[in-house]
Order: sequence, then C-alpha cells, then structure tokens
Amino acid sequence: MNLRNRFKSFIRKPHNIILVTMAVVLVYLTVIPLFTIIMDTFKVHSSELMRIKGSQVGDLTLYHWKQVLFNPANSGKIFYEPFMNTMGISAGTCLFAILVGGLFAWLVTRTDIRYKNLISTLFIFPYIMPSWTLAMAWLNFFKNDLVGGVPGFFTSLTGISTPDWFAYGPFPIVIVLGMHYAPFAYILIGGILRNMDANLEEAALILKANRFKIMWKVTIPIVLPAMLSTFLLVFSSAMSAFAVPAFLGTPVRYQVLTTQMFRTLNGLNPGYGYLMALIMILIGVFILAMNQKIIGKRRSYTTITGKSSNISLIRLKAIRTPLSVLLMAMILLVCILPLVSFAVESFIMEPGNYSLTNFTTQFWIGSGSPQIANGEPGIFRNSSIYTGFFNSVKLSVLVAFIAGTLGILAGYAIVKRKNSRLSTAVNNLAFFPYLMPSMAFGAIYLSMFAARRGFIPPLYGSFALLVLIGAVKYLPFASRSGVSAMHQLSNEIEEAGTIMGISWFKRMTKIIIPIQKTSFLSGYLLPFISCMRELSLFILLVTPSTRILTTMLFQYNEKGWNQYANAINLMIVGIVVLSNVIVNKVTGASVDKGIGG
Amino acid sequence: MPEIRLKNITKKFGKFLAVDNLNLNINDREFVTLLGPSGCGKTTTLRMIAGLETPTEGEIWIDNKLVFSSEQGIDVSPDKRDVGFLFQNYALWPHMTVYKNIAFGLENLKWKKDKVEERVIELLQMLKIEEFSGRYPSELSGGQQQRVAIARTLATGPKVLFMDEPLSNLDAKLRMEMRTELKRLHVETDSTFVYVTHDQLEAMTLSSKICMLKEGLLQQFDPPLEVYHNPGNAFVADFVGSPNINLLEVTGNNTNLDEVLLNCKELELMYTPVSSSLTVQENQKLLLGIRPEDITIEEGGKLKGIVYSTLPSGMETIVKIDFNGIILTSVVFRGTDFQVGKEIAVNFHENRYILFDAENGKNMGQGELSAL
Repeated sequence: MNLRNRFKSFIRKPHNIILVTMAVVLVYLTVIPLFTIIMDTFKVHSSELMRIKGSQVGDLTLYHWKQVLFNPANSGKIFYEPFMNTMGISAGTCLFAILVGGLFAWLVTRTDIRYKNLISTLFIFPYIMPSWTLAMAWLNFFKNDLVGGVPGFFTSLTGISTPDWFAYGPFPIVIVLGMHYAPFAYILIGGILRNMDANLEEAALILKANRFKIMWKVTIPIVLPAMLSTFLLVFSSAMSAFAVPAFLGTPVRYQVLTTQMFRTLNGLNPGYGYLMALIMILIGVFILAMNQKIIGKRRSYTTITGKSSNISLIRLKAIRTPLSVLLMAMILLVCILPLVSFAVESFIMEPGNYSLTNFTTQFWIGSGSPQIANGEPGIFRNSSIYTGFFNSVKLSVLVAFIAGTLGILAGYAIVKRKNSRLSTAVNNLAFFPYLMPSMAFGAIYLSMFAARRGFIPPLYGSFALLVLIGAVKYLPFASRSGVSAMHQLSNEIEEAGTIMGISWFKRMTKIIIPIQKTSFLSGYLLPFISCMRELSLFILLVTPSTRILTTMLFQYNEKGWNQYANAINLMIVGIVVLSNVIVNKVTGASVDKGIGG
Repeated sequence: MPEIRLKNITKKFGKFLAVDNLNLNINDREFVTLLGPSGCGKTTTLRMIAGLETPTEGEIWIDNKLVFSSEQGIDVSPDKRDVGFLFQNYALWPHMTVYKNIAFGLENLKWKKDKVEERVIELLQMLKIEEFSGRYPSELSGGQQQRVAIARTLATGPKVLFMDEPLSNLDAKLRMEMRTELKRLHVETDSTFVYVTHDQLEAMTLSSKICMLKEGLLQQFDPPLEVYHNPGNAFVADFVGSPNINLLEVTGNNTNLDEVLLNCKELELMYTPVSSSLTVQENQKLLLGIRPEDITIEEGGKLKGIVYSTLPSGMETIVKIDFNGIILTSVVFRGTDFQVGKEIAVNFHENRYILFDAENGKNMGQGELSAL
C-alpha cells in the first residue's frame, strides 16, 4: 500500500486523530517544559546577576551545578542535607503508611472486626482532605512556645510543654504524611486481599498449615507486589509534598527539597531550584520504571483472582469489641478531631485561651476592626475570600472537566490502538505530569508562559494559566481511570455499533460512556478534589485577582492569622468531603476507584 | 446479488504475517466457514471483509463493488458494506434492554417508530425471545443472549452475515440446538453467511464450503465432503474428522504396473491407485491416510491385530487396534464392544485411501489397499 493511501486510512479512524493530537499537545506541555528545566539549570537568571560576576541574563553557566552539587562549603546546606531529609521522610512515610494501611486492610478483609463499612468509608478521609489539614491540626494541638505566640490545646490544657522534636520537624511530618497516604496502601493492599482467590488460603489450611504460617507463606507473598507498588507510589508522592514540611519543618529550619525549591525559585537562585526539580523528576522516573517492572510481574498474581470469596474470617474472640472500638476511636481522632479543632480555633479571639468568654464570631461574620488582623473582615463579609472561594470552585470544575474529558478520550484511543508505539508514547506522556514535582511544574509554566509563545498570548497572571497547568497536572489520574475503564470494555461492544453505521460521536455518547460512566466519573472526581486542595502547583502562579482558597490559607498562615487559616481550611475540607459524598451517593463513583490504577 | 471476492489479500501485524496472499470467491447464498487452528488468520480475514480491519495489500469486492483496494486507496467503512456481524461474546450493550439493543440500529437509520416496533417484534418472534424484550442482557442466559445478538444483527436486513465463533461460549447441548437454528436462518434470510470456527465438526455440519487456513495460507477451499474425503494435504486430512484420520509413515516402491508396495515396520500393504497412475521414487517416504470408518473389522480379515482399547459411545465404538506396534483407529457403527487384548482381523474394502508426500504433505492420489 502506498504512503498516501496508508495516511488516508490512518486519519479516518478517530482514535488515531486523538492520539496524534494528544501526542503533539502533550509534547508541548510536558516534554518541552522538561527541556526548559534542563536549560534553566545552565542559564543565568536576572536575579542571579549579582552573584555570577560579569554575566548577562541568558548566558550559559555551570554555576548552579557547581554550587548545588560540587561545592564542599555550600552544597551540604543547599542540597545534600535537604535531599537526605527528603529521602528519610519519604521512606518513613512509606513504612508508616503501609503498616497502618496494610493493618487496616487486613483487619477489614480477613477478620470479623466490627463496623467494617464505617471503617472503610472513614479511612479514606485523610486522603481526600488536603494534606496539610493534619499538619495544621497537629500544630493546633501540639504547638509549643518555640515559634512565639501561643501554645496549642495540649499545652494549654495540661501545662506540659511539648518537646521540639515532637512538635516540629521529621517526626510529625512522617506521622502526618503517613496518615495522609495510609488510605493509598489501604486501597491497594485491600483490593488484592479482597480479590485474592480464597482457595489459595483454603488449600494451605487443608494441608494443615497454621494461621500464622498461611499468613507468612501465602498471603504476604501474594500481596508483596502490591505493597512494593504502594511503597514506590507513596514514596514519589511524599517526595513532592510541600505543604506539610512547610508547616511543620520551617519552625525548626528543617528543610526538604520542596521547601528548598520554594525558597530558591521564589528568591535569588532560581537556577538552584530548577536543578533540584530536575533531580526530583529523575528520581520520579526511576521509581516509575521500577513500579512498572513490579506491576509487570504482578499480573501473574492478579490473574488468580477467583470467584470464591467466602474465606472463613479470623475470629478475634475476646479482643473483637475492644479492638473495633479502638480502631474507630483512632479513625475518629484522625478524621473528625482536626475538623473540630479548626472550628474551635476559628472562633477564638485570643489564641491559646479556651475560656468561654474568649470565643467570638468576629472572624466569621465580623466587619473587621483595625486592632485585629489589619481590619480584615470576617469570612462571610470578606470579599477577597469570596473571590478566592469562587476562583477555587471555578478552577476545580474547569480543570476536572478538561482533564476528565481528555482522560476519557485518551483512555479510548490508547486502548483502541494498544501495543502500538504511538499509543504507548501517549500513555506515558499522559502519565508524565504525575512525576513532575508540582512546584517545579509551576515554576516552569511561569517562565514558559510569561511571554508570548507563538499564537499563545502571554498567560502569566491569567486564570487560563491556572486551568491549563491544573488540567495537565491531573490528566494522569483521569487517563488512568480512562484506560482501565476501556480495558474492561471489549472492543466488540463498539464494533457492534460501527458495523451498524452508528457515528463515532454517537458510539461514544450512547454506548461507551454510558456503560462505563462510574469509572469515567471517577476520572472527573479525582482531578476536582485534587485541584480543590492543591497548593504547591499554584502557589507561584496566582496573582491577587486569581487567588484561590489554598493560596490564601497559606498567606494567612504565614502572617500568623490563625483564625482565618483555620476557617478557610474548614471550608476546603467541607467542600471536598461534601462533593465526594454527593458524587458517591448519586453515581457510585468514588475516589478509591481512581487511585487503584 | 452479493458475491464476495478477495484478491491477493495480505495482512501484516508488524512483522507477523497473519494472512498471506489470500484469494477467495464466495458465491451468493453460500454458507462458507473459515476453518483452522487458532492463529491461522481466520478471524483476521473475516474482520477484513467486514471492514473492521484494514488489509496491508489486496482488493476486496462485495456485490461487484470494490470496497477495499490498497492500490487505489479505497476503504469503504463497515456500515456502507451492508453486512452484519455476530461477535464471539455477543457484544450486547449491557445498558440497553433487549428491545433497545435490537431497535438501536434501526433508530439510527431514522426509521419511523411504528416501523421499528414492527420489525423488532418480528425478530423477537422469529428467534423466540418475545418474553425477554424488557430485560437487560445480564438477566439472560448464554443461549438467550446469543439469540438477541442474532436478532440485533439481522435487524437491518444485511445481505451478508459474518459470524466469529458465535457458538463457542455455549454448552454442548445448546450449541447443537443453535447449529440447527443457524442453518434454518441461512435458508430463511436468503443471505450469504461467512462463519469462523476452529471446530471442524461445526464446519462440516454447517457449511456449503469450507475454507481451510493454516498460518495465514489457504490450504483448501471445497465443499465439506470433498474436504473430508479428498483433503488437499496431510494437514487438512488430520484437522478434519473425528476420530482423527490414521496417518501412517510408510516407504513406497513401484511394483508391477502401477501398484505401489508400502512398508511400515513389518507391515506390508499393496496400494492400487484408482484414478491416474502413480510414480514414486525408490523408497520414497510417504504418508498413508486411512479414515477410521474405512477399516472394516470382520472375521477372516487378512490383517490380524490385537484390541488395544475401546471407546463405546452407544451409536458407535472407537477401537484402537495394535498391529505389531502400529496402532490404528477404527470405528464400528452400532453398539458393539470388544474385549481388550483379544485378537481381531480387519480388511480394507474402500477405494479412497490417500497417499501423501511425506515431505510437503501434498495429496498424491486415492486408491485401494490390501494387506499382504
């Protein structure tokens, strides 16, 4: 067949058009930024003129590489120490998350523990809530007098001052991030345990192996790939976490790569920041490659999923009720108590004083007085908070709509042409933004779109830029659920329509999307929730007119206006949880469906 | 009237050659099966004719209309080829009721509502599934789903019907029933059927012509009985028929006028070709094909052996007989059984024993056989 005819038959298929378009757009939006980052590590930026003597903006230089990696006097403080901190925190977070998440998953799927439904619902909460929620709650409870101001609940009530290592730094960061990502482990490991053919364990039981031996020799080896996979995914997420280390580490000058990046990108040494971003991306790619290898092996395990699921549950006997109550208490402590603390903090006039007379509604409905917070009016009367609120909702809805829709199309086209090079390329391109640390991604878009580029007008300061970066950053979630939804759908389902002359658009809207609407909806829900609670991606890009709730929260917190920060946090959590519950109840779609892929 | 012609059709998946230079003429109102082991390119061929797959090279004509040509860059989309397709796993739309599944294609053609209803009811009656019209596919059994899939495919009245192993998901009994049904449908709908299967019995019983494929290459394209009795090569002979044909590795030498003496271990057989004469080289390696039903067990038979095993099924008994280390399969009709280990004698009465060239497997001719 000659080339012209081949081309003609190629572009007649909608999935080919989608793939080619996506490949071009994604290369522009994800690969070019990567090259920009690499270039930026060799370039002189305007704020660095003073340091690099005799240079001009845009000159090539090895200064950043030397200073960050090879200067014995400086590199330790600038890079190696934060790098080691990041690695330590990520590893600790993984262990904590897998231990807690795995334990809960095992208890729920394999024992006769009580309140299973409630536990599975509530356990997902820490993941749905913004990651700093728990960090702020931690501070509300355990803040000591190191940072000045007032101590937290704990000290106020007991009079005991918490030690610094307990209140700030690596210990609370690991606990908080670990709790945040434990649901991840819970969903992945629980999924495997639930789908595992019970016959495997029963077979061992019949051979007279005891429970412990079964656990050690059968169950754990089978969930091991899922555990490793969780480990790697949590590791890469924890590595790029910014808000939690910023909240809990800064008071004791505990720096990790992300906080260091924020300082350098925002300050005098963007070149340092870009270099750190590049290193983080490389680690991310490495982790993904390892994960893919493990998942590849895991297939041989997942094929053993069977129908029989009536494995006899382990009887907890005497400890059943106490253990159930203990678990519920723990979950309530993590899920509900933070919210209560936000509510309380937002009603207190003078922080640290919990007497009834100190309660005020000033920060919610007050009109603002010059003595308090520079006359900032209360939440409900504050026009800038309304702006932030509407911007946040508008942004999240738009991002979810764009990312979700593109995710469906990407999933459709990728699966339709599976095993071809083009489809693999688009699949990887669509996942690539996941590996970009949010902060670095923001920084790149900032520099990329500050000036006019081709037919794209300068976007800095525009709302469109926020929508663009959000849609690209959350495309991985949507494309994952799109791909897995399409994998479950046999190709023949569509072909049955094709052969009857049903148009492509009608096949999508009347056949494919209605059949897989739950999975596809999850592809909309996850970007919405993530966007609603995102801070580090947008923090470098917002301007006063495009401010959103999360960046306002960060600013209030930096200024020490705790009541506002707490109130906004409560609002964000409220919106996120409420939208999740509503979507879940109405359509059956849920966040956990999106994570699994 | 619909006639399907394939000219030099080739399909490559990357470097893998799925279909190799296939030429095929399917006449109007034929029931053609594409038969072969898995991976032989039969489903790919069917999908190419239907337009679901694009050939790498060649031309396809349906009803004297060129629907695909790699040279001229013609590729008519599936819906414009006026064909129906029945999928292996039915591909019913799970979110639509039975009624809606059948009606959807008609509504898409902008039929009037009462016309659609009339047609759907007609089909529901024809396939005896009226009572399920309001149900969803998941609430039906496999056989019922199959009927709905057939009704949906027939709805728009396609002149050509393609079927991709439609019965492979059904249990044995239901498969039997659906075979009868399909054959009846072929007559009733007055259309051309092209049917893919790996089940030789299905191909034998259903089709008016079998297209036998192996590794993308056409082996034989003939009516079933011709394929059975006069297979083009040893592969076809071995694939068709149950129990399998006996393929005996022998060496042959011309003796007398046109007789061939066949040797296999201690066994000596004289072979007399029925059609033309047959010349073999000295000690040429050959394969002798003997259908099990062409070995007659009778008292006073020339060749004596020992009963190795028997499989009586009531209607017939499959007997394996050991002739000094050479085991041959024979079939006896009517329910008789034999005692294992007992001596037994056989004769060769037919004139359709086949010789194949052992090297390339080609059919060299048919003939008579007698034991010496």
